[in-house]
Amino acid sequence: MNSGAFLRRAGIGVLTLWAAVTVAFFALRLAAGDPTDNLLAQGLASPEQAQALRESLGLDQPLVIQYAGYLQGLARGDLGRSLFTQRLVSRTIADQAGPTLALAGAGLMVAAALGSLLGIAAGWAGRSLFGRAASGLSGLATAVPVAVTGVFLLWAATWLASLRPELLPLSRGGNLLLPALALGIASSGALARVLQSGLEENLHAPFMLAARARGVGHGFRLAWHALRPALPLAISFLALETALLLGGTVVTEMVFARPGLGRLLVTSILTGDFPVVQGLVLLAATVYTLTHIAADTLSARVDPRLRSTT
Amino acid sequence: MKVHFSPAAAAVWLVAVVAASAAAPWLALHSPVQPVAQPLTRPLTFPPLGTDNLGRDEWSRMLHGGRVSLAASLSAAAVAALLGTTAALVAQGLGGAADATVTGGANAALAIPGLLTSLAVVAILGPGIESVVLAVGLGLTPGFARLARQALAQVRSEPYIAAAGALGAGGMDTARRHMLPNALPRLLSLATTHYAWAFAGITTLSFLGLSGSASRPEWGTMLNAARPYLRESAWLAFFPGAAIAATVLSVHTLGAWLARRVTPGAS
Repeated sequence: MNSGAFLRRAGIGVLTLWAAVTVAFFALRLAAGDPTDNLLAQGLASPEQAQALRESLGLDQPLVIQYAGYLQGLARGDLGRSLFTQRLVSRTIADQAGPTLALAGAGLMVAAALGSLLGIAAGWAGRSLFGRAASGLSGLATAVPVAVTGVFLLWAATWLASLRPELLPLSRGGNLLLPALALGIASSGALARVLQSGLEENLHAPFMLAARARGVGHGFRLAWHALRPALPLAISFLALETALLLGGTVVTEMVFARPGLGRLLVTSILTGDFPVVQGLVLLAATVYTLTHIAADTLSARVDPRLRSTT
Repeated sequence: MKVHFSPAAAAVWLVAVVAASAAAPWLALHSPVQPVAQPLTRPLTFPPLGTDNLGRDEWSRMLHGGRVSLAASLSAAAVAALLGTTAALVAQGLGGAADATVTGGANAALAIPGLLTSLAVVAILGPGIESVVLAVGLGLTPGFARLARQALAQVRSEPYIAAAGALGAGGMDTARRHMLPNALPRLLSLATTHYAWAFAGITTLSFLGLSGSASRPEWGTMLNAARPYLRESAWLAFFPGAAIAATVLSVHTLGAWLARRVTPGAS
């Protein structure tokens, strides 16, 4: 990617972020109504306190003024305060980011390992029983919702712990292994499919026959001639998968009762704490924009053919 | 989605689930929301599938829960199919700027995972089964629109489309009266696959507790409620979990089977 194309991507990225923030701001305020009503209804505030809160949050001002104020705050890195805890949204998010990042990172590793394994096995072994089993497993991994896989893993760990008490820590909330497995399994199927179809395509390409005619060994042919051209797509897929993983963390954190951004998002939605929801929407949009740019850059590095066109 | 399972087995499971859900009021032995026996009674005694942590009949809850899950995902898939097909028709019928808008909009929306789009919609509308249906439907719409546009574009090169144009039919008219009926088999296979995604989405959002009341049975809600009892009463998680997995896989299998049948040249 040359610098002009990069600047254009970055420009589009900033526009995307602005659009996400704007849509979230107006949609949340117009449809969800006055958040202090919620506080009143739950008996968490008296009418006077609610009015004071409205004033301190600027909710009594016209929407356009609030929007301008919000954008000004954003420019200073100020995301506002939570309606319920009064803590800074940026602080609240930062506190919960660690566990989610750890989970997403570990999940990504599981997805990459399992996805490559299944994809290469399916592409390699083709129509044999082994290949079909790998292909079926990757289909299974994509189709079954994370919630089901997660609860199943949790049950399996509980059952193992009842047989071997020393394995008990496995099923506890703090352990990263099971959540990472649940998240990684769900994301591995798509990667496997991309690798599989890339491999299948290349295995039947004329250059494979040419390499064989030149006396290139079997393993080298598979790894260098068939696998390498399939990698760029797989890599950009994995980068995009990072964004999807962050969506999957929402469910995983709820299954395994882990703290994190996903749990924060769900509880904020349930309580109507919209400054926090809005901060998380902005964060998600930022992550997507960055991963898309990263995916393009990475692919161009692995595949020289992509450099001139993007 | 390439899932190689038997389409016949998938059809049998789906017919059984749909029939059982439709007949839930007659097949259910008890109310799904009233306690009927000791909490956490084991299955294969009375009632047949045991009871949950509040002593409610699990068999009746599964039947009534399936009703909610199946109907809600049907509505969500219908939202995605209707909006997506309409957008694709406009894109193909008007072409030019309309096509660019639909394609660009769908691609931009697809950059964000459907689950997060759905969560944002629930955040705006507030928790409840109706907002969950709309959220899942809207989350699936961009993907459906893009694939439906492809399906319509594939019949575009057929001679009868050129013939309709030569006879003076407008773009929208050609799209609606000639492209749509001929792309219908492919759209149907798309809708089937999207029903599977909708089912996964509905049960997932319910699992997160976003579909309102926790006492109304729904497979995703029931799976979540079973989590604390995995050690002693694993069947509470097994029934809804297995039912969700089997249903999603069956619909995917049927969708893949349909896609093979309606795509020319693929066998």
